[in-house]
Amino acid sequence: MKRFEYKVPGGKLVRAKLEIEGGAISFIQLTGDFFMLPETHLEELEAKLTGSPADPSAIEGTVAGFFAARGTTMAGVSPADFAYVIVQALRA
Amino acid sequence: MDRIRFLNLKVNDAYTNMGVDEALAKGVGELRAPPTLRFYMWMPSAVTLGYFQSVEDEVNLDALKSFDFNLNRRISGGGAVLNSATGEITYSIVMRENDPRISKDPVESYHYLCQGIVEALGILGIKADFKPINDIVVAGKKISGNAQIRRYGAVLHHGTLLVDFDARQMFGVLKISKEKLSDKMIQQAEDRVTTIRRLLGRPIGFPEVRDALEAGYSKALDAELMRGELTPAEQGYVAEFRKRYASPEWIYRR
Repeated sequence: MKRFEYKVPGGKLVRAKLEIEGGAISFIQLTGDFFMLPETHLEELEAKLTGSPADPSAIEGTVAGFFAARGTTMAGVSPADFAYVIVQALRA
Repeated sequence: MDRIRFLNLKVNDAYTNMGVDEALAKGVGELRAPPTLRFYMWMPSAVTLGYFQSVEDEVNLDALKSFDFNLNRRISGGGAVLNSATGEITYSIVMRENDPRISKDPVESYHYLCQGIVEALGILGIKADFKPINDIVVAGKKISGNAQIRRYGAVLHHGTLLVDFDARQMFGVLKISKEKLSDKMIQQAEDRVTTIRRLLGRPIGFPEVRDALEAGYSKALDAELMRGELTPAEQGYVAEFRKRYASPEWIYRR
């Protein structure tokens, strides 16, 4: 299991745990003490990323596009923070 | 002056407490209940995780078992807390999401709904400040943590106010640091939080804190607090939600 943990400056803690098989994300879990409304969007993002290529620029695009399209409200963390943590976990 | 239903301090276990908060959100959101303020305590003590946290990252399960504490998960985000049976009063406030007093901006709505705690501490002679995103601090040390959700058409704001503090319990059950629990670590962590009893230097009782909270929220919300009880419909929701909160599928979902 690859992991990465990041405390957003002035914000909250975000962790990514993931597994890669055959160049694709086979498991991903994002956890932390941030706030997101609606809460269900995090699970939807995890589902969207599962099976997608373990490629940093693809992941950054997917994460940014996902939150922009859904209009998710968050506090203590940003879409870019999620992308950063996932990409760092890939490299862990 | 506005009127807000007030559910006075009651003691329940973690799963009933979370069930009541969600029942209030559903009742208020469905317009079956008026805006409501609730005070409550916990028996037994429980570690309560934020919605997005994982058990393995946050909780020392062996220590939890040795203390006979419950493990619990909120529907709201934020961080893990020890809801101590003897060290805190918790509160929830529920309003309709479209209430003109509730900002769409999360930090502004935290600020507004935390003011009752700031006022209550002022009544006790303690100068406290809201610290974005969701904390209340006294001279930089945290004394209250808060979390909100918006669901069923309602805003549910709940939080905890530290009255007393057992560092060995709190840092025994919460994984604050990967370092082995040492007296030095407890000392450092203790420096980041404070309590009403410590600040006042006297063993203030829970009734006095409760009275200050009631007066503080009445002032901050500019509302008359009308003593009330859960309606039969809300009690039905509590019974339904309690089962989910007590289930391993919910608690260990992350």
